Amino acid sequence: MATTTATITLASADLLSDNLSLSATQTLHKAGTTTGLDGIQYEKLEIAADVHYDIIDATAAGANKANKVYIANKHTDSTKYINIYIKDLVVGRLYAGDWMFIPLEAAAATQDVSVKAISAAQVIEFSLIHEGKTLVAYS
Amino acid sequence: MATTTATITLASTDIADNALSISNTMTMTTAGTTTGLSETTGLARKKIASATEVDLITAFNTDVTALKSAKVYIKNTGAATDKYATIGIGQAAGTPIYIGRLYGGDWMLFPWDAVLVDGDGYAASVIDGGGNHADNHDITIQMNDATETVIEYMVFFE
Repeated sequence: MATTTATITLASADLLSDNLSLSATQTLHKAGTTTGLDGIQYEKLEIAADVHYDIIDATAAGANKANKVYIANKHTDSTKYINIYIKDLVVGRLYAGDWMFIPLEAAAATQDVSVKAISAAQVIEFSLIHEGKTLVAYS
Repeated sequence: MATTTATITLASTDIADNALSISNTMTMTTAGTTTGLSETTGLARKKIASATEVDLITAFNTDVTALKSAKVYIKNTGAATDKYATIGIGQAAGTPIYIGRLYGGDWMLFPWDAVLVDGDGYAASVIDGGGNHADNHDITIQMNDATETVIEYMVFFE
């Protein structure tokens, strides 16, 4: 069993009339347990413009689990964004420099995580921390 | 203009042979600019003591502008690691697309397009760059049982 933590800090001195300072840490456990997630996929990709790509397949072994997904848009031009999809739904736009961190239920094989960039050569980093995935048989 | 940052640190010394250490800070800006997001719902807390699926954040009732760079933070403040909240996008009365399960202590942060039905002028059945518009893109939540659980959430938007 591995011990993996995810910590977020939200901070602003001027969004509100008082300082915003929020911090939360979670230990990444397998679904319904206190056993740590022990699988990981971590990639960096350059994606073409206006093409819809799957980056994380929802597989039977990962269905209804406590998988976690991290995605970052590494572009530096603030006008460039990537649409993030789950199944066929646009969750939102990751603009240059943005990141997201979500649990992934992947209850059905169609609930892949996919991306579409609005311009060429956009680089993303993503990581799936999981407790199992169905491997693709050699063919 | 405000300056709001969100920093994530993912760390493990034993998930692989080499340590995992991912750290990233984003400054929350309005869509396509370097101007900081200046509006927020503030940090809200909601007690949920039912396993019925409900809308946690409704796009229609917020001032969030659709298809921009809104960000949503949600945390399950519960301590029980076998109790979870399923978070989705859509409408509780409709057919949300489920993102994932927030177990006790888990948090998430994600961009939100916050479109309403046919928000970009396409028909509800059309799946396009703006998403599937059969329902408003509310944020839905469903606990796996009726144990009272406090959910915290906050939206940053323009």
